[in-house]
This record gives sequence, C-alpha cells and structure tokens, in this order.
Amino acid sequence: MSTTSTKPVAATDENKEGLSQGQIVRRRFLGNTAAVISLVVFALILLIAYSSSGMFGLPGWWKYTHNGVNDLVNGGRPTLQLFPLSLGEHPFGQDRLGRDTFAQTMRGVQISVAVMFLIGLVGGTIGVVVGALSGYFRGWIEAVLMRLTDVVIVIPLIIIAAVMGQVAGRAVGADVQPYFLGLFVGAVVWTGLARLVRAEFLSLREREFVDAARIAGASSARIIFKHILPNAVGVIIVSVTLSMSAAILLETSLSYIGMGVKAPDVSLGLLISQNQEAFQTRPWLFWWPGMFIVAICLCINFIGDGLRDAFDPRQKKFNAKRAKAAAVSAHSETGTTSTTGV
Amino acid sequence: MRFGRTSKAIGVAAVAALALSACATSGGGNSPEGTGESTAAAAGGSISVAETNAFSSFNSDSATGNVDINGKIAYMTHGGFYYVDNQLKVVRNEEFGTYEKVSDDPLVVKYTVNEGAKWSDGNAVDAGDLLLNWLVESGYANDAKTDEEGNVTSGTNYFDFAGDTSGLGLTEIPEVSDDGRSITLTYSKPFADWEIAFGGLNDGGIGLPAHVLAEKAGLADEQALVDIIQGLKRGNPDEPAKENKDLKAVADFWNTGFDTKSLPTDESLYLSSGPFVVDSITPDQSITLVRNESYTFGPKPAVDEVTIRFIGAAPDQVSALKNGEVDIIAPQPSADTVELLQGIEGVTVDVEDQLAYDHIDLNYKGVFKEANVREAFMKAIPRQAIVDRIVKPLKADAAPLDSQFFVPAQDAYEASAASNGSGDYKEADIEGAKELLAGATPEVRIMYNKDNPNRADAYALIQESAEKAGFKIVDGGLGASDWGAALGNGTYDATIFGWTSPGVGVSGVPQIFKTDAGSNFNGFSEPAADKLMDELIVTTDSVEQDKLVTQIDKHVWDSFYGLPLFQSVGLDAYNSDRIEGVKYQPNQTGVFWNFWEWKVK
Amino acid sequence: MVTYIVRRLFTAVLILLGASFLVYQLTALSGDPLHDLRESNSPNKEQLIQQRIALLDLGTPAPIRYFGWLAGAAKCVVPFVGQCDLGYALNGQPVTEALGRAMGMTILLVTASAVLAIVIGVSLGIVTALRQYSGLDYGVTFMAFLFFSLPVFWVAVLLKEFGAIGFNNFLRDPHIPVSSILIIGVVSAAVWFVCAKGSYLRKLGSAGIGFLLAAAVMWGLSVTQWFKTPGLGLVVIVICGVAIAFGITLLAAGLKNRRALYAALITVGIGTVIYFPIQELLAQATGLMIFLLALATVLVGLAVGWLMGGYDRRQNMNAAAMTAFLVGGLILLDRYMQAWPAYFNNGRINGRPIATIGSETPNLQGDFWVHGLDTFTHLLLPTVALLLISLASYSRYARSSMLEIMNMDYIRTARAKGLNERTVVMRHAFRNALIPIATIVAFDIGALIGGAVITEQVFAFAGMGQLFVQALDRTDPNPVMGVFLITGVLALAFNLVADLVYSALDPRVRVKA
Repeated sequence: MSTTSTKPVAATDENKEGLSQGQIVRRRFLGNTAAVISLVVFALILLIAYSSSGMFGLPGWWKYTHNGVNDLVNGGRPTLQLFPLSLGEHPFGQDRLGRDTFAQTMRGVQISVAVMFLIGLVGGTIGVVVGALSGYFRGWIEAVLMRLTDVVIVIPLIIIAAVMGQVAGRAVGADVQPYFLGLFVGAVVWTGLARLVRAEFLSLREREFVDAARIAGASSARIIFKHILPNAVGVIIVSVTLSMSAAILLETSLSYIGMGVKAPDVSLGLLISQNQEAFQTRPWLFWWPGMFIVAICLCINFIGDGLRDAFDPRQKKFNAKRAKAAAVSAHSETGTTSTTGV
Repeated sequence: MRFGRTSKAIGVAAVAALALSACATSGGGNSPEGTGESTAAAAGGSISVAETNAFSSFNSDSATGNVDINGKIAYMTHGGFYYVDNQLKVVRNEEFGTYEKVSDDPLVVKYTVNEGAKWSDGNAVDAGDLLLNWLVESGYANDAKTDEEGNVTSGTNYFDFAGDTSGLGLTEIPEVSDDGRSITLTYSKPFADWEIAFGGLNDGGIGLPAHVLAEKAGLADEQALVDIIQGLKRGNPDEPAKENKDLKAVADFWNTGFDTKSLPTDESLYLSSGPFVVDSITPDQSITLVRNESYTFGPKPAVDEVTIRFIGAAPDQVSALKNGEVDIIAPQPSADTVELLQGIEGVTVDVEDQLAYDHIDLNYKGVFKEANVREAFMKAIPRQAIVDRIVKPLKADAAPLDSQFFVPAQDAYEASAASNGSGDYKEADIEGAKELLAGATPEVRIMYNKDNPNRADAYALIQESAEKAGFKIVDGGLGASDWGAALGNGTYDATIFGWTSPGVGVSGVPQIFKTDAGSNFNGFSEPAADKLMDELIVTTDSVEQDKLVTQIDKHVWDSFYGLPLFQSVGLDAYNSDRIEGVKYQPNQTGVFWNFWEWKVK
Repeated sequence: MVTYIVRRLFTAVLILLGASFLVYQLTALSGDPLHDLRESNSPNKEQLIQQRIALLDLGTPAPIRYFGWLAGAAKCVVPFVGQCDLGYALNGQPVTEALGRAMGMTILLVTASAVLAIVIGVSLGIVTALRQYSGLDYGVTFMAFLFFSLPVFWVAVLLKEFGAIGFNNFLRDPHIPVSSILIIGVVSAAVWFVCAKGSYLRKLGSAGIGFLLAAAVMWGLSVTQWFKTPGLGLVVIVICGVAIAFGITLLAAGLKNRRALYAALITVGIGTVIYFPIQELLAQATGLMIFLLALATVLVGLAVGWLMGGYDRRQNMNAAAMTAFLVGGLILLDRYMQAWPAYFNNGRINGRPIATIGSETPNLQGDFWVHGLDTFTHLLLPTVALLLISLASYSRYARSSMLEIMNMDYIRTARAKGLNERTVVMRHAFRNALIPIATIVAFDIGALIGGAVITEQVFAFAGMGQLFVQALDRTDPNPVMGVFLITGVLALAFNLVADLVYSALDPRVRVKA
C-alpha cells in the first residue's frame, strides 16, 4: 500500500528537481521494494558463493572443496540445524562419495553465474554492435547484418545452444569448458537484442538532437556513442538482464540433456540433473542447487522488472480513477494538458 | 419477411443434420467396442514392460538392427535350439529341434528341426532356414577388402552381420539331410564354444525365414536360394570372385528390408516361429505382441499379450511402474532408484550382479613401463572404498571383484581368486606404494567416461588415494561419445572402463589378452599366456577350459596388468501384486529370458 | 502486397539456406558419428564402419556433403520430381519417416499448451495491468516468475508424483477428507481475497464467500462420488450457460444492451432444448462431425444475434456466437464425462487414468469419446508443464503492452468524453494491446517447439525434441538437420504471418510493396 501513495509524489518531484536520468532511474529503482530485495539477496548469494570456496586462487573460508572426497557423516544427510543454529560438518549434506554438497553448490553458483554473465556480456555486446551499426548506418550494412540476424534467429535457441555446448565440450579442456560454453552460447543469443537496439536507433537517429550533432560536425562514432547509445541504454540493460535469467535456465536445460557444463566441474544445472534420481530419496542433493537456481532466477527477473519500470516512464503507476479524474480536469482547464505524456 | 428467414434457417438446419449423420461412425452408438471391454481381459491377461530403447528392426542380427530391444523382440518371436537361463546354463529346447556332436575330430555338429515347427504363415522351419542363418553368421561368401577409411576396395560383403563370424567361419558349407530338416556343420579345427555357436535364442534364434527372403529377392522359391548357397565357394579377399547377383539381392534385403519402426502391411516381414507374434506398433512408443496360435514347439507362455513401452530415463520408468502403466521395469541401477522402488508398495525389486565389470587397466607403454610403478599404482587403488561408496548402497553384500575372467557366480571363480594373488590389493596400501616408488612422483593420466557416474566417481576415489602415495594424477576423462574412440590410442596411462561378457564361452579371452589382439588396448604381451590361450581356443571341454583360464588369470595378475574393480549391478522390478514369475537374468536378455513363465495373478 | 510476400519468401529461402548450412557444419563439428563403432570390439568392426561411412557419405568433407543433403531436401519443395529425401539416421531409417511422425506428436503437444498459455497468460497480463501494484499484481508476477524459474523436469517430477500417481490413488476411493476440504477452502479464500477489489471489509467478505463456495463444491463432489462418475447434467449446463451468457454479454456488449443479453440467453435456451436430441448423434461422433457441429453452433449463435436486430447487430452476434460456442463446449464436456466410467474401467486403464508417459494407451479399444479421454489423460501433465513455463512471458508482455496503452492520450480522451470503463478497456485499450502481443506470439512459436524438447524427454513423448536430443547425443547429423528444417521453416512462416497480421491490425504500418 505504501508504494501506491508515494509513487505519484516521486513522479512530480522528478519533474521539479531536474534530476539527471541516472538519478531518476536510481530513485525509481530504489522505490521498487521487490527489486531492491532481489538485488540484496542476489548480492548475498554471490558474496557467500565466492567467499566460501575462494576465487582467483585465493582460499575461501569453507573447509571443504567441491571435489574433495570426505568420510560420510550422518549417512550424508545435511547437518544444518536451525534451532539452535549450527552448521555442523556438512550443512547441506554429502553425496555418495562424501563430497560436500555445500561446497559443490557454491562452486555451482560460481560457475553458473559466470556462464550467465558471460552469455549476457557476449550476447549483449554483439547485440548492441549489430543493432547499432545496422540502425545507424542503414543501407547495405543494415541489410547484411539483419539477414545475418535472421539466419541465427530461425534456428531455435536450444538447438543451436545444444550444438554449441557439444562443440565447446569437445574443443577445450575441462577446466575452461564452462567459460567456452558461455562464450559460444553468448555468440548465438544476441539476436533479440540486436533487433531491439536497431529499432531504437532507427527512431533516435531521426531526432533533432542527432541532426544538431551531425551539423556540428560530430563523427559517426561520436554520435553513436555520445548521443544515441546513452538514450538507448535503458532498453539494453533491461533486455540483457532478462536474457541472463533465461541464460541460467538455458544452462540448466543443456546440462539436463548432457550438453552443458561437464563433470568433473559442477554447475547448478549439472548438479540437479545429476541428482534428479535422488529427488525423493536424498532430496538435499537436488533441492539445494535447485533452490539456488530458482532464487537466482527470481532475483534477476525482479531486478530486470524493476529496471524496466525505472527506465520506462510510460510504465509508471497508472490508476484508473485518478487517470479519469485527471482527464476530466484536463478537459475542463484547457491548456494545462499532459505534462506526463513522455 | 422474418417468417421466411426462419423457414430458411430450418431448412439449412435440416440439411446440416443430414450432413452430420453422414459423417458419423458406421457402427451403432452402443456397439460393443464402445463399452470399453478389451480383448486383454481374456484368460491369460496382458503384461506391460518398460524398455529403454525403441524398436527399430525385425532383423536384430543386422548391423543396423543390432539394438538390445530388437534382440528381445526376436527372442520372443523366434524359435531356437537353446536359450541361456539365469544360472547361465545352456538349456536346449528339444521341442523345437535338436543338435548333437557327431564327432570330436574333426568337430562335426548336426542340427535338426523337429517336424511341426513352422512359421506363422504355415511354412515349415526347415534346413533352408538353417542354411541361410549359417551363411549369414559364418560370413562364408564375403571376400571384400577395405582400406583404412573402411571403404571397400575390392570384392563384396554380402550380409552385414553384427556378430562374430570367427566361430562358424571355421565351418565348410553344411550338408543338408534328405528330409530337408537338418544340416551338419564340419569345423576345420576344434572350436571351444561350438555349443553356443548356432541357433541360440539369445542371438535371435533361427533368424529370418528363407522362403520370404527368396521371394523378396526375386528368386523362384526357397529351393533356389538353397541351391545358390550350396554352390558357393569360400570368399577369399585376395582373389575376389565376381559378385553373385542373386545372393547380393538376398543380402541387400536381409540387411535393410526388415528395418522398420512401424508395423509393415506385409505380414511376411514379421513372421514368427516363437511363442509370440507382433500385433501392433506405435513408433517410438510401444510394441504389442500376442500369442502365436501356430506355436506348439516349446515353452508355452502363460499370458496372452505382452506390451513393451519405450521409456528412456530411470526415474520415468519408476513413476510409470508406480502408476501402474507398466508391470516390469529394468532401468539403469542407482542407489536412489533402488531405494525409490523399495519404497513402493506391492513391487518386488531384484538387485543382482550383472555379467559386466568395471576395471582399471594400465598402459604398458609410458610411465607404466616399469613393473614396480605398475605395482605401486595398483597398491594405491582403494578397491574396497570404491565398492563401499559406489556399489554397496545398491547391494549390501558387494565385494571387490578378484578375477579378470570369472565372476563370483561361476564355479571357477573361488579357485582362481584364491590363487591369482588378488588378495594383496583389497585395500589401498599407501605405505607399500610409497616404498615401491621410492620418492618418485610419476605423472599418470587416467582416461574414463565422464558421463558414467560410476566411472567418474571411481576416478575421484582413485585420484584421491593415488595422490597420497605420491602419484601425480591428470584427469583425462572424455565424454560418452569420445572415450571409446580413445581406447588403445596411447594418449593415457591408465583407463577405467567396463567389459561385458555373454557369460558362456571363452572366445573373448584371447580377444583382450593375446599379444596384439583387437581389444588388447594396453600392450599386454606374455608368451606363456599366449600359449595357454592358443590351447584354450581349441579346447572343447568346459572343465579343461576353466583350468586354462585360471592359469591365464594368474599370469595377468602377476604382470600387474591392472585391477578389476567391481562387478556391475543389474536391476529389475515388477508389480508383484499383479504378476508373478519374473526372474532376474544377468546377461543382455534381461528379464525376458523366461517370459513364458510370466503370469497375471 | 503480392510483391512484398514474394520478396519476403525469397529472402526466407536465402535465410534458410544460410542457417541450414551453419547448422550442418556445426553438427558435423559436434562429434564423430562413428564413435560407437570405434569402441566396439566386434570382429567385423571395419565392415560396420564402412557401411556407415557409405550410408552417411562421411568420406566427403562436411561443407561439400551439405550440398548433397540440400539436393535431397530440395526435392521436398519441387513437386512431381521425386520423393523428399532428408538422408538416413544412424539406424538406417529415413529421416523423413521419423520426422513425419515426430512432428505430429510435437504439434499435438505444443498446440494445446500454446493456446492455453496465450489465453490464460494474456488475460492475466491484462488483469494485472489494470490493477498494477495491487496484491493481485504482485501475486501473479511472483507466481509467473517462479514457474518460469523452475526447471521443467522438476515441475514434471512433481506433476507425476501428485498429478498422476497421487490423483490416481485418490480415485480408488474418491472421498475428500474434511481436512482437505478446509485447506482447499482456505486457498480459495486467499485467491478471492487477493482478487477482490475495494475496502478491506469487502475483501474479507469475498474471502468468506470464496471459502464457502469452494468447500461446498468439494463436499458435493466428495459425497456424490463425482470423480468416479462425473457429469454435468442438464441443470448444471443451464446454470453455467446462463452465467456465461451474462458474462459474455457484460464483456462484449455491456449488460445495458438488452438485445445482446437476450440473444445470448436464447442460444443457451437452444442448447438446453437440443441437449437430449443431440445425444443420439454424439454417440456416433467422429472428429469431422464435432468440427461441423462447432461450426453449426457458431452459425446458430450468429443467426440468433442477427435476428435480434437493433442498432448494433454486431454486438448481439458476437455475444450470441461466443455464448453458443461455450455452451456447445459444455455439452461436449458433458458427453466426455459420460464416457468416463467406460474409460476408467477399461482393462488397460485399470482405474488409473492419468498417465505419466507417452501419448496414448497402447491397443486401447473404444469409441471416439474413449480415445478422446485417453489423449486427454496423456496430454494433461505435459501440457500443464509447458503451460506453466510459457505463462510468464505472455503475461508479462500483455501486462506491459496494456500498461503502455492505458497511458495513451486517446484513452484519456475516451475517458474524458465519458465512456464507461468497460468500453474504454474492452473497445479501446484491449484491442490495441493485442497488436504487439500477436506479433510476439508468432515469434515465440519456434521457441515453444524448442521448449518442448525437455518436456518431451521427461514424459517419454516421441516428438521432435526427443528425436533431436537423441540424434545429437549419437552425433547423428541427418535427424538434427530434419528437426532444424521443420522448426526453421515454421519460424520463418510465422514471422511472415506476424508481419502481415501487424499490418492488418495496425493501419499505421503498411507494407511497402
């Protein structure tokens, strides 16, 4: 209920204070409870995952490694207790070899998130470049790039990703395979973004400020990077965020059909597909990584949703009654119409 | 005006009603088929079995049709001279036909089909069928030479037989008896496995009817085919003969003509000489077999109908069993699957040994050239721990396998295990290994199938233990479709994989352990062992065979070849509230081996 | 227009050529089709390898081999030249044969879930947009994202455990215990509470109604053993029919439009009268007949609406036709329910109707209705699984599209001129919000088929997804190409349709000829 009342106030503030776009976006985003909670949760997950098992060669605070074989404690069942709170030897339990599920899950989060960011980064970069070039220059560049996009787009994602995963799995050694998977899959998921960015560029390049810049003698590169891209950044960020949540699920699906991350390394998708038979008998092997997938995916979706609302002023709070009232009053006092129709 | 419209509307409605009744079903609304009564409710009832692979061919002996499910269908729809029971004993079916050893030297065996054995189209199963089968399984006429890429450079390959031709390849063109019901095989030298060389149900029985093939290949009749076979000369790749057009036509049809995923309209393509005949197929989903009415020559099935449904993953098979959609399943075993199955009310679960075992082999080249490095590595392998972690959760009484040749179910296992020195390698002996290495830190690259959880886990345990002893272990694991190709290519120092054996016969021994043999991937070579194997392959007495193999076993262990890890575990489960008579069988026929004993309660 | 379509088709062919070349090379790169033979220790290994090399033409390098494949594939489009030839699978089966079958299965699976996902997703999106930032909005958003985030095989395991095995166990003795009735009641109360609009008190009131209604229905179903012998009966059909008539009229024309309301009610009356006579005909039903009957029903509805006359006949006709269609659907549903006991007690079903695998019960004997039920019980779980994962995107698209429209100036104008909320939403906003959704739906068809890959795998549904996964696993190139060809052609076709629909729906967009 609180958001309902504060929202319109914030909207008028923005207009009064003359805030920069970044400030407006930040403020709107922070006003979105679900998105902020998600951001905090996601940061916490990353913090725990990266600090527990270490990163960049630094040791972590957790005593077990994801592939170390240990004695079975308590038949492999989780030792995590809530009342009183105690972690025990293996808070998330162990698999049949005695590997620590907590360490595996954390390692899985690291790998899955890394794959996800790689897919987002690679896909985002290619998408922006292709979209920007074809939208700005038009002509034969657009024709070539867009046909290329069409070529990639007609291949269903899971098909091309599976083939790519298979190729990545054979091409390189086990230790870098997940990253290659990310790169390869990233190289085929940019098509949607490219279309979006192109559309955005097509409309922005006709705007007055671009003409002004051009007349002032700005180079194409400068116009693209300084003038158009900042205006399209909202669309890009939102689209990339949402494609990352799809990416983590794609990784899960690929691992499920055996074409994603390969053992001995682990990813969340690989863990749950390896342990799907244990779903009912040793649920901890399945549920912990599963819960992290769902948690990460939910967080990213809500963050993405929050960003969309923050970047896109047309999506702001709409209230039938108030809109009607405003319309009626606008109708009666001619001249003070729409200040909000951005 | 309005009235006019209404009457028009009524007219339209009347026409429409007529049209509708025209496209109704021809039968009446209350016809018997509408009441949900089914033919399955007849006396014997029907049983539904889940299988992993989908049916693809009525010829399970051909290269393309050689899939386990096709073999199982052949097992149920073909007659044969014997089958292998769940004690791995050869059981003859004398109601179908007989075979006897006529002489020992030269080895001569006579096969006779009983009168009355016939195909489901009424034609008798006769010497022509036996002869055709022999030709296929002996590779007699083939004289092709192939280059390294596998392309034929000269001569002709006729039948693409998926099995081993080395046994029957020793025989000359069989004599056909006057009554046309028996053939006599004469071997050029004694052959150890003569008893299981021909006509066993496990290998598809008497495969395909000669009269159908003759007709499909455009020959006059079955006799014409018999005449062609009897006129053949043994193929010699060095002097290829001119291609025999008629035989090639027969072979071509044999190779692919029976491959189908759906039920052919031509009934001659799926004739049965066994207890069941195929009734219907839904491609990639199910196949239904019904009683073969003309079958009187062998064990009589108790059920009227068997439906096999194709379900890939183990958890899906379990839920289908739990939901009553299938009565018998035999999924890939895992501790979780077993526990899940044991938790279902009214389901009996059999967890038993399988005729396959996982082992680690050491490559005699490279780092393992020295015998003491091999010994040290073998000492560092925690066999007991591997069994405890990987097999025990499934089967509480599992123990490390102590022979390279026998499994505990075989009589000779005890003696061989006691004498071959396997006792030294039960547990990891890190200290002993360190002593042997004397401070050296050899780097060992281990190759295994990453996609097989048992192998990957065995690797993890071996790595852990061997590193304690001072070895540097490199992970050489490959994906499911790559590891097999890497076998024997010398890129690894040790490899973890599995062998499967049919459980009867000894022909497999020299294939793996003889110097330069096809499946000798590790460069094992021991002149004394080679000699013993030469002797083994021509020994026809099974007690003598066991003695020889026991000696070979000792040689292999003494040379630090590697270690057998554990015998694989098989699993079947069935709805014992509803059916009975299902028994575990450790070889590839699986639960189907005694399908005639299955019964609906 | 025609030049436009021709040009689009021409580019589509080029795109398809490029994409197929790419996929062909990638598949060839992805592994060695001979691997299973190389590891075999059969004595005639060389011969088997050579056979496969010949079968798949592996001697030729992949870029050149592609053209061989293309030549075969081209025969599919050129009529009267020859049979379609997409090569052979590793097991020697022609790909066209395998593909034809698998395609039918996938279409069966995808169609139902696509239609349901679109209808439910879009309505949820519209409703949440109209009540943005309400409890309902948050609830639906959270659920949609949650379902979207769940790995599909996880959903599948749960569905099998509770939807099939649990429900079948329940059917053995379909008696709902009091505790379950209470729980269902509370859940229903919660839903009503969230959905209700207005003051807190009013919300509580509707929660109470929700609780009572659900509990009463559950109690009734339990006492009458409804799950064993389900049916609607004429009474329920009439009650539901009248409710539908009012609902449809409210949405399509507004209750003030008495003629529309009467037209709708009259069609309900016709349905009631025809209920008994039609049973005789339905007993001999075939698929074609049901289709014709559906057509006839809609025509009758249109006719009734037209006969009612008035200043806006179209509204009457819409309301009456939709009502007629839905009432017809009820009668059909009732007929299926009548066939339930026959299906339930069939020897091959054994009282466990909801299936966990496959698309049909092998060798099931029965009439049209029994087979219909069999398809229903097999499709139920996979459809629900697919539905849940594709719901999220449609509801989000619809929500944002609707929000955008609701903030448009012309909506403000519509309000300002005093139109009521129903007219504003249904006539002005809803229709325009559908335009972008229509194009997205077309785009998503390819993705939906892709999404079915895993679902097919889990439910042992022998469709294209399974064909694809198995082929890729065996590095069997031709079936992979076959699956790609179908999905690629579908994706391109729907893209074209999307563009044409867009220009038809939105007069601002005109295709350049």
